[in-house]
Amino acid sequence: MKALRIDHVGIVVKDIDQATATYARHFDLQVDPSRGGEIPALGIKNAFMPIGDSALEFIQPLTDQGPVAQFAKERGEGQYLLSIEVDDVAAAVEHLRGLGYRVGDPNNGIAFVSPRSSHGVNLQLIQRSAR
Amino acid sequence: MDGIGATHIDHIVIASNDSGAVAETFQRNLGLEIKRTMTRPGTGAQLAFAKLQEVVLEFAGPPEPKPGEEVKARLWGIVLAVRDIRAAVDRLRAFGCEVGDPKPAVQPGALIATVKSGTHGVPFALIQYEAISPATGAPA
Repeated sequence: MKALRIDHVGIVVKDIDQATATYARHFDLQVDPSRGGEIPALGIKNAFMPIGDSALEFIQPLTDQGPVAQFAKERGEGQYLLSIEVDDVAAAVEHLRGLGYRVGDPNNGIAFVSPRSSHGVNLQLIQRSAR
Repeated sequence: MDGIGATHIDHIVIASNDSGAVAETFQRNLGLEIKRTMTRPGTGAQLAFAKLQEVVLEFAGPPEPKPGEEVKARLWGIVLAVRDIRAAVDRLRAFGCEVGDPKPAVQPGALIATVKSGTHGVPFALIQYEAISPATGAPA
């Protein structure tokens, strides 16, 4: 597999509107209206603020279930996830599974790696060309 | 200058109790190349750096990992590159953010300032390269 770049950093927040307003005011970042929204299957809503060749993703849990809600419950707000763009997400998943790690099936060009593969860091692999 | 003049994410810090082991895992599993390792002057922290285009992943850990301890890591902080760190610090302070004074970074010629509030739980820092003379510490 080949890691190409950091696609985005996921940050869990309590109130996405308040957080993006803060980052707009303090860091002059703007929400990308073409990305983000509610994702009921994951129990979250998100918003992306591009910076340079990457972005910050703000993630607000909408339910008290799931890993994002669990993170918010245990740690409050903070960095949650590192998303790395790869050239071939299916090959990357196969590669990591070959090393014995747990990786979810790619869905819409995205696969989530079990934090056990990376000493507790939540990793997402993303293939932009597959989205 | 518009805003704080942030241009990109300069680096992302992954803190752990064994930076060498975590860097090695990322290198092996994700194909990252560790470009540099060093000991942070003053604290003795062990640092390893990999770069993916414009963003550096910094693996940071204590001077001596404890033998036998399970290796644990977490995303810790984000460093934004800015064009003028003093102006950026002034602007954030004007918004009421708690920001440290710019000080020399481990990167030669760079100044770094920590942003201690106003970031929704994310430790932030600002960095400006070519801010000072690496030889004298005088403003560049």
